[in-house]
Amino acid sequence: MARPRGTDGSLLASLPWTLVALAVALVPHVPYLPIWITGAAVCCGAWRYLIERRRRPLPSPWLRAALALVSFLGVLFVYSSISGVGPGSALLAIMASLKLLETRQRRDQFVLLFISIFLVMSSLLREQYLWSLPYLVVSVLMIMTAWLRTSATPQESARDSIRAGSRLVMYAAPVAIAMWVFFPRIATPFWSVPIDTSSGVTGLSETMSPGDISSLSRSDAVAFRVTFADAVPPPQERYWRGIVLTQFNGRSWSGSEPLFGGDRGDVQYLGDPIRYRITLEPTRQQWVFALDMPYGWDLPRTQLVQNQQLARIRPIDQRIAYNVISYVQYRSGRSLRDPFRHWYMHVPPGSNPQTAEFARDLRASVRSDKAYIDAVLRKFHDEPYFYTLEPPPLGSQPVDRFLFDTRRGFCEHYASAFAVLMREAGIPARVVLGYQGGEVNPLGNYMIVRQSDAHAWTEVWLDESGWTRIDPTSAIAPERVEVGGGAGIGAVDSVWGLAGPAALWHRLGLTVDAINARWNDWILGYGPDNQNRFMRWLGMDDPGWRQMLLTLVACVVGLLALISLLLTLRYRPPRKDRAATFYRRFVARTKVAPRVGETPANFAARAAGASEIPAAAIDRVTAAYLDARYGSESDAALGRLAAAVSALR
Amino acid sequence: MFSIPWPFPSARSRYRARLSAAALGRARGWALKRQGIDQPLTRLRPGRVYIVPTGVGLVFALMTFAMLLGSMNYNNNLSFLLTFLLAGLGFVAMHQCQRNLVGLEIAFAGVEPVFAGQPARFRIAVTNHSKNARRYIRLNIDSTFSVAEDLAPGESKLFTLPVPTERRGWLALERFGIRTLYPFELFRAWAWLHMDLRGLVYPQPAGHAPLPPPTQTARGHRQHDARGEEDFAGLRRFHVGDSPRHVAWKAYARSGQLLSKRFAGADTSSQWFDIDAVPAPDLEARLSILTRWVLDADRSREDYGLRLGNSRLGPAHGDAHRRRCLEALALYGKDAERG
Repeated sequence: MARPRGTDGSLLASLPWTLVALAVALVPHVPYLPIWITGAAVCCGAWRYLIERRRRPLPSPWLRAALALVSFLGVLFVYSSISGVGPGSALLAIMASLKLLETRQRRDQFVLLFISIFLVMSSLLREQYLWSLPYLVVSVLMIMTAWLRTSATPQESARDSIRAGSRLVMYAAPVAIAMWVFFPRIATPFWSVPIDTSSGVTGLSETMSPGDISSLSRSDAVAFRVTFADAVPPPQERYWRGIVLTQFNGRSWSGSEPLFGGDRGDVQYLGDPIRYRITLEPTRQQWVFALDMPYGWDLPRTQLVQNQQLARIRPIDQRIAYNVISYVQYRSGRSLRDPFRHWYMHVPPGSNPQTAEFARDLRASVRSDKAYIDAVLRKFHDEPYFYTLEPPPLGSQPVDRFLFDTRRGFCEHYASAFAVLMREAGIPARVVLGYQGGEVNPLGNYMIVRQSDAHAWTEVWLDESGWTRIDPTSAIAPERVEVGGGAGIGAVDSVWGLAGPAALWHRLGLTVDAINARWNDWILGYGPDNQNRFMRWLGMDDPGWRQMLLTLVACVVGLLALISLLLTLRYRPPRKDRAATFYRRFVARTKVAPRVGETPANFAARAAGASEIPAAAIDRVTAAYLDARYGSESDAALGRLAAAVSALR
Repeated sequence: MFSIPWPFPSARSRYRARLSAAALGRARGWALKRQGIDQPLTRLRPGRVYIVPTGVGLVFALMTFAMLLGSMNYNNNLSFLLTFLLAGLGFVAMHQCQRNLVGLEIAFAGVEPVFAGQPARFRIAVTNHSKNARRYIRLNIDSTFSVAEDLAPGESKLFTLPVPTERRGWLALERFGIRTLYPFELFRAWAWLHMDLRGLVYPQPAGHAPLPPPTQTARGHRQHDARGEEDFAGLRRFHVGDSPRHVAWKAYARSGQLLSKRFAGADTSSQWFDIDAVPAPDLEARLSILTRWVLDADRSREDYGLRLGNSRLGPAHGDAHRRRCLEALALYGKDAERG
């Protein structure tokens, strides 16, 4: 190897800063990275620092090559892909760690700092919160300070670098903001790269197995936020339609992939439209939520697919906002042909026999499907069925066990049992997953729908009204609603009420959420729409991208001229010697021309005869000037000089 | 062998290649014509500080552009902001880089004569008259750089520019540069200075040349006097190197002038070095040998005289005489040249 491997401690002034910048860039990735990558990065950083401290040689190229191979294979093994933000940031982290081990000169550190910048960017692509902006500023400050440290002379202290770095970032900020405001935004991306495949963000589960999971997610994370154009619909109409499950295998319900380009179904919209705007948090799924039943929406490449589910071709891996028009009154489907009828009635033979028998008996005892539905709902209401978030597990015949044995469950249990009861009685039925309810945030006047509002209900086919929504959970008597320990949030709270510190805490949460919503709308959601609106506010009516780019350039040039002026002021010489200014005024007043190389004393001697100013005054000025110039108490002398010169008139 | 590819050297060399020597020469000629010959004390005006992006700067620009594409693709506003912040930093760095040089005062602070073959060290004083520190300032002659220095507000620092020498005579430093990479190394700002600086180069002393016997060189000028040092022959001005024992202290006490006693015998060691009598074929070799003789004679504190064609120096000894002799040797036959 031609390159020497020894270190001489020359990087000790800059390397710690580079390491800190790298660490700041890496921190937001830690929850997403496999633990061994974080470990490797920390080890490499510490190792490299110790090498520099002890002036040891760098690890051998063979070792580095082996480490590179192993970690690359490791990433491939974990992610089984190298494109996308997840594996991308993992590779960046590994590259940085390995580059550390061969960093010999300050220029190698530039590579590390470039990697840091890319790491910061990929963390911003992955998630944007309120604190992402301060994080961005801090990380850029750290990286730029480390950058200055790489080429700092020994005379430049770390404090100088921090100060200079902050000043430069401060100067750059207005330029950046101008560019950010005026850079034309386009709606559609050029190409699609998955943001992250490994993240733990949850949307709704696309299958439902009541009894398998014995407790429900009580996350109060925001699923989406809604702003209504007009009045907010009443709570009983807040059914946010999502996924429709049609297949039942005896234990669990599942749906099917969205079929794009097919028939959206025969939906007749009745009554008045409801206009609103949804800001949906990323779900990594294709399903788009809207108030039951969506009529129109402005989200591109999004369709109402089979079973009236709204779906987008590309999974929602970033926060999106869209406007929707919904009708809460509608008739879905005119007729159901036999193959479909059978499809929606299918129950695996032999599963849940007790339920099947009960359903047949009950159906036989009533006259109509409608009466049967009422009977089932009455059973849920009258008999001791409980609503609980922590139901017992149900075993292999979950519906039988739930209906006749445990009688405790949450929405999924009731929806599943109800749909099975319907199907066993020959009524087509399906389960709908979505959200129900939502809390209006008085600060900001919008509705928050949380993950804890996730809900399951059913739709049954009735020839006279088409697919009809039935929510069996709502049939349970209110006194039998049990709230599990610790569930102090969302819709459940409205049952039990809030008091004292909990209310205060809740209020604080709403405030933070209102700020967050604004932030999402105006900063994160600054797209073509918002930009257009802002331009109009600025007085530019519907500017094209050409005009906006011109404005951008004009703004940047103007700001840079200002910055240049600011820098000129910073680098201007110190203020003129004030003593000299006074003395020059005195010389002018004497009306005696000074000679080249004449000392003040000589000039005073000459002026004493030639000028009309009394010799005593001349002496006073001269003495004060000499003191101000060369004396130790120059400030006091400057005062005397000023007084003496002013007294001349 | 494993090594994470490092983009800069190649970018740098390509960059250098493009600014080929010819183009650089033309640029320098243009700058000289534009600026004229500078005074030995010159303050850098903004108009004469030039600036280009460095290789790191080009990579930085490329990265920022890639980030812009990424931000547009993901329509991610925070990533847009990061991109624009970096772009803004680039612009600001450009202005800062230029301002780091503008207003510096550059003054020639002398150069000591050297023997041919030794580097001549031109000293340049750079003064920062502003309220702000100047960072990472380097002086250079073509691709020879001084160390980088910071200048605190009001501070003045001396930079040394070594120039290799080959021939005796006047050595001209037609041009030197002052440059900075601060901040971030994204840009390089520099100024060319043409101050008409000259340094004297003495001939290279010959490796070994025994002093000629006094009889041969001092013919006709030697006083045969056998009284040696004991015989007082008069007083003369004190020269550095004279023995304190020979100082006429009484005369000093009377007149306040330092005088040395001269003894008749002292002249026995006075030698004349004549360029025509040097046993060497060409002029430079003779000058080289003469230089060696002057140095050796000076070291042995003997009086010596130098005859170069029509001009005569000495006989005398001491630093001033030595310097006069060496200057004469350096410039012998070069009067026609500039300076």
